[in-house]
Amino acid sequence: MVQTMRTSLFITCYNDTLFPETGRAVVRLLERLGVALDFHPEQTCCGQMHANTGFRGEAFCQAKRFVRLYKDAESVVIPSSSCVAMIREQYPGLFEELGNEQLRRDFHDLLPRIHELSEFLIDRLGVEDVGAYFPHRVTYHASCHGLRGLHVGDRPFRLLAKVRGLELVPLDNLERCCGFGGTFSIKNAEVSSAMLAGKVHDVLSTRAEYATALDNSCLMHIGGALHRQFTGVRTVHLAQILASTEDSPAEEIA
Amino acid sequence: MSTSRTLILDRIRTATANAAPQDYAALPRTYLRKGTLDAEQRLALMIERLHEYGAEVAVCEPAQLPAVIAEQLAASGRHRFAVPPGLPQDWLPSGYDFQQDTGLSADALEQCEGVVTQSFAGVADSGTIVLHHSAAEGRRVLSLLPDWHLCILRTTQIVETLPEYFALCQQQPELATYISGPSATADIEMTRIKGVHGPRFLNVILVRDENPAEARSESFTTH
Amino acid sequence: MSNVILDPRVAPPFPTAALPILRNAQLRKNVAHATGVIQSKRAKLVAEKTDWQDLRTAASAIRTHVLQNLGPYLEQFEARCTAAGGVVHWAADAAEARSIVLDILRQEQASEVIKIKTMTSAEIQLNPALEAAGIHAIETDLAELILQLGEDEPSHIVVPALHVNRSQVREIFARRMGIPDLSDDPQALTAAARAYLRQKFLSVPTAISGANFLVAETGSVAIVESEGNGRMCLTLPRTLITIAGIEKVLPRFQDLEVLLQLLARSATGERMSPYTSLWTGVTPGDGPQRFHIILLDNGRTSILGKKTEQQTLKCIRCAACQNACPVYLQTGGHAYGSVYGGPIGAILTPQLMQMEHAQSLPYASSLCGACYEVCPVKINIPEVLIDLRAKVVDRERAETDRLLDPMYLGMRIANNLFSSAGRFRAAQRLGRIALRAFTGKDGWIHALPGMGSRWTMTRDLRGLPSQTFREWWETRRKEGQ
Repeated sequence: MVQTMRTSLFITCYNDTLFPETGRAVVRLLERLGVALDFHPEQTCCGQMHANTGFRGEAFCQAKRFVRLYKDAESVVIPSSSCVAMIREQYPGLFEELGNEQLRRDFHDLLPRIHELSEFLIDRLGVEDVGAYFPHRVTYHASCHGLRGLHVGDRPFRLLAKVRGLELVPLDNLERCCGFGGTFSIKNAEVSSAMLAGKVHDVLSTRAEYATALDNSCLMHIGGALHRQFTGVRTVHLAQILASTEDSPAEEIA
Repeated sequence: MSTSRTLILDRIRTATANAAPQDYAALPRTYLRKGTLDAEQRLALMIERLHEYGAEVAVCEPAQLPAVIAEQLAASGRHRFAVPPGLPQDWLPSGYDFQQDTGLSADALEQCEGVVTQSFAGVADSGTIVLHHSAAEGRRVLSLLPDWHLCILRTTQIVETLPEYFALCQQQPELATYISGPSATADIEMTRIKGVHGPRFLNVILVRDENPAEARSESFTTH
Repeated sequence: MSNVILDPRVAPPFPTAALPILRNAQLRKNVAHATGVIQSKRAKLVAEKTDWQDLRTAASAIRTHVLQNLGPYLEQFEARCTAAGGVVHWAADAAEARSIVLDILRQEQASEVIKIKTMTSAEIQLNPALEAAGIHAIETDLAELILQLGEDEPSHIVVPALHVNRSQVREIFARRMGIPDLSDDPQALTAAARAYLRQKFLSVPTAISGANFLVAETGSVAIVESEGNGRMCLTLPRTLITIAGIEKVLPRFQDLEVLLQLLARSATGERMSPYTSLWTGVTPGDGPQRFHIILLDNGRTSILGKKTEQQTLKCIRCAACQNACPVYLQTGGHAYGSVYGGPIGAILTPQLMQMEHAQSLPYASSLCGACYEVCPVKINIPEVLIDLRAKVVDRERAETDRLLDPMYLGMRIANNLFSSAGRFRAAQRLGRIALRAFTGKDGWIHALPGMGSRWTMTRDLRGLPSQTFREWWETRRKEGQ
C-alpha cells in the first residue's frame, strides 16, 4: 500500500499523561498503513504552555530540547494541531531571539518534516480512506490552531467522509473557539466557561454521539462540560476514529 | 508646543533608527487596479449599487437632461432648490425657486428643500459618487443641508473600481466627498435607518455622454 | 446610570470586570446580535472581493512602511497642512492634548462644542476636562449621543452603543429630550436625534473631530462616517479642532484606494461608508476658516521601537477584531476597562499605559486567532498578546511575593519536569497517585482544590489513566522483542 518510512511520534505532554489512548490509536493506525514508528523516550513537551502564558525562558528550554531530539528524524507526526502550531509559529521567533545559528539551521531543516496527523495522512501518505469503521453519529470541532494556525482546511472532513458507518453532522459556529485557550481556562475561567456553554449548546444541537477534533485539549474542555452536564455525548480524538475497525473498535475513552 | 514636537520626533527617530524601511515604490500592489467590465456593464453595476442604497436613478441622453431634471424636480414635490454657481442655468426649468449659492448662509440653505449638483466621478463597484466641490459641484455644505440631493453624473465619468478613480485624479483634490448612498445609521440594533443628518433622498441622473448610440446597440447585440 | 470605568489606571482587572457582564443577559444578547449582523455582512462582502488578500497585503505593507518612516511623513504632513492654512500642534501626552484643546476653545470663547465620534478624544478623556472648564461637549454621532445622554460608556470602537437596545434608547431619549411619548422604533429614535441636534449644527461655531487618515503628500485629513454628523461638523463651524494619533498618516493620497476599500467592508460590512470627507487645511469660502490639528503621541512612540509590538500601530480602528472575537462576544467592551476593547484593545491599552496598568488584558484572549484572520492590515494580535504576556511575566517574576504564587510556582516546576524525561515520568506517577484522592467512582474528577477549582467550577476532568503512553510503548516494545 504505502511506502515504508520511518516516522517519529511526538506524543505531547498532556496526551502522554491524560490521553494515552490517542497515542495508541496513532500507532495502530499508522502501522496499519505501513508506517514504521519511533518514539523517543526523552521527549516531553513542546513548550506551548509556557510560551503562551508568558514564560518565554522556559519555552526556550523546551523548544531547544525538541529540536535536539528530532533534528535527525525522517519525519515527525504529532496528533495535536496546537503543538504543531506552536512549533511552526513560535519556534522561529524564539530561535531568532536566542541567536543560536546552529539551532536555527537545524530547526529550519526539520520544519518541513513536521506534520500534524491529518496533514501526514493526506499530504505525506496520500490516503483519505484509512480503512476505518466507526458506526456512530459524529460532529467535528475545528480547533483554532488547526483551522487558523495550520490551515488544515477540509483534511479532517475528507478523512471522516471515508470512515464506514460514520454519520458526520456539521457543527454550527464551526470557526468559533471553545474557550479553552490553555491557562486562559483558569485565569479567565468564567469567560472561558461562557464560551464553552455556547460550544456545548452547538454540539448538543447536532444530536451527535461523539464530538471529535485534532486536539485533545479542546476535547478535554468540551468533554469536561459534556460530562459535568450528563449529556451522554462523548469526545474522541480523530486518531481514535481513524484507528477503529470492524475487528477492533475504538478504545472507549469515557 | 515646539518642545513636544522635538520630543516626539526625537522619540520617533530613536524608535525607528534600526528600521530597514521598504522603499515606497517597492510596496506590493497586486490588488486589482482596473476593472474588467465594458461600459454597459459598468453602467449597469453603478445603477444596481445605487439602487441597493435606496437611491433613485434615471438614465438619459445628453439632449434629454433638462427634461429629466424637470421631471425629477416635479416628482419631488419640492419648490425651493439650491444650485451651485457653476451649474448651467439652461438645464433648469422655470417655475421653481432656484437659490444660486454665492455664499448662502446656513440658515438660507436650510430653507432649501433640495439641491441640484454635478459630480466629479462615479465608482460603480461601491456605487460611490465623488464630489471634488468645483463650481458645478458646489461647496461641501450645499449638498449636505437640503434634504433632497439631485446629482448629475456623466457615464464617461464612471469607473469600475476605486483605484481607477484615484488614477483619474491627476491632481489631488483639496476637498473631496465620496457619497455612497444617503445618510444612514445602524447604531440602534443594527437596523439601517436612512437619513440622519445628511440628505435623506439621493437621486442620480446618469447622462449617457459616451455616444455614439449605435456603438451601444452593437455592444448589446454581441452579448 | 453606568458604573463602568474605562480608565485603565483604575479599572478592575478583566476577569473581575467581566463577571457582572456575564450575568447581564440583555447586554450579552445585544452584543451578540450586533456583532453577528456586522460579521455576516462583512463576510458576504469579503467573499465577493476577489483581491481581498492582495488588499490586505498592500495595506499591511503601506502601514508598516509608514511606521518605519514616521518622522519624515509627519513632518511632510505638517508642512503641507501648514501651507494650506492649518495649524499643527504636537501633544506628547493626554494632558498636553487636553490643554491644547482648552486653550483653543478659550481663544474662541466657546461655551459649547460639537463633536464627531473620536476614539482619541475618548482616549485622552477630553469630555470631563471640557465640562470642568465649563464647556459643554455635544456628541453628534447617534451612538455617542445615546451614551452621553444615558451617562454610559462606549463598548465598541465603531458601534459604541451596541450594548444598548431600542427600548433602552427610547427611555434615555424620552427622559433627556423631554419626549415622553417617543416610540421605540429606530426610525423615530433617529428622527428625534436629528431634530435634537439640528439647531446645534447650525449654531455652534466650534467642532472637534478625530481622523481616519492623514495624507503626508497633501496635508489632507480624511474622515469616514455614515450619518452626516461628521460632514456637519466639518463644514458648518467657524473653527475645527482635529485630534489624531501620530500613526494615522499615509504616504500618499493614492494610498486611500487601498485603505478605503478595506475599512468600510471590515468595519460595518459596507462597500463604502455613506460619507468620506477629505479636506486640506483651510479652503476659502468652504468650511471652517480656522483649522487646528493635534498630533498625539500619548504612548505611541514607546510602541514604535518594539519589533513585535510595532504592528499594533498599523491599526485603522475598524473593529473587525472585536466583532470576530469570541471573548468580546461574551463580555462586550466594558470589561476591558478602556475605550479600546476587544483584541486590539487587549494589546493597545497596556502598551499605551507603558505596561504600568491593564496587565490582565494580554490574558483576556484564548489566542484563537479569529482577530488576526479578519484584520485588514494583518496585525498578528495573538503574536503580540503572547509577547506582552512575556513582558508581564518578566515584570512580575522580579517581585518576591511571586515566589509562592501558584501560577509561577507551577510554571517553574513544570519546566523542571519537562526538562528531563526521568523527572517527567516520576511526576506522572506521582500525579496519578495524588489525583486518586479527587477521582470519583466514575473515574472522573469533579472538584479540585486551589487553582484546579477554576477548572472544575464548570468542567469535569477525567482521572489519570493507569498507564501513560510512554509506559504502554515501553511495555509493548519489551513484549515485541
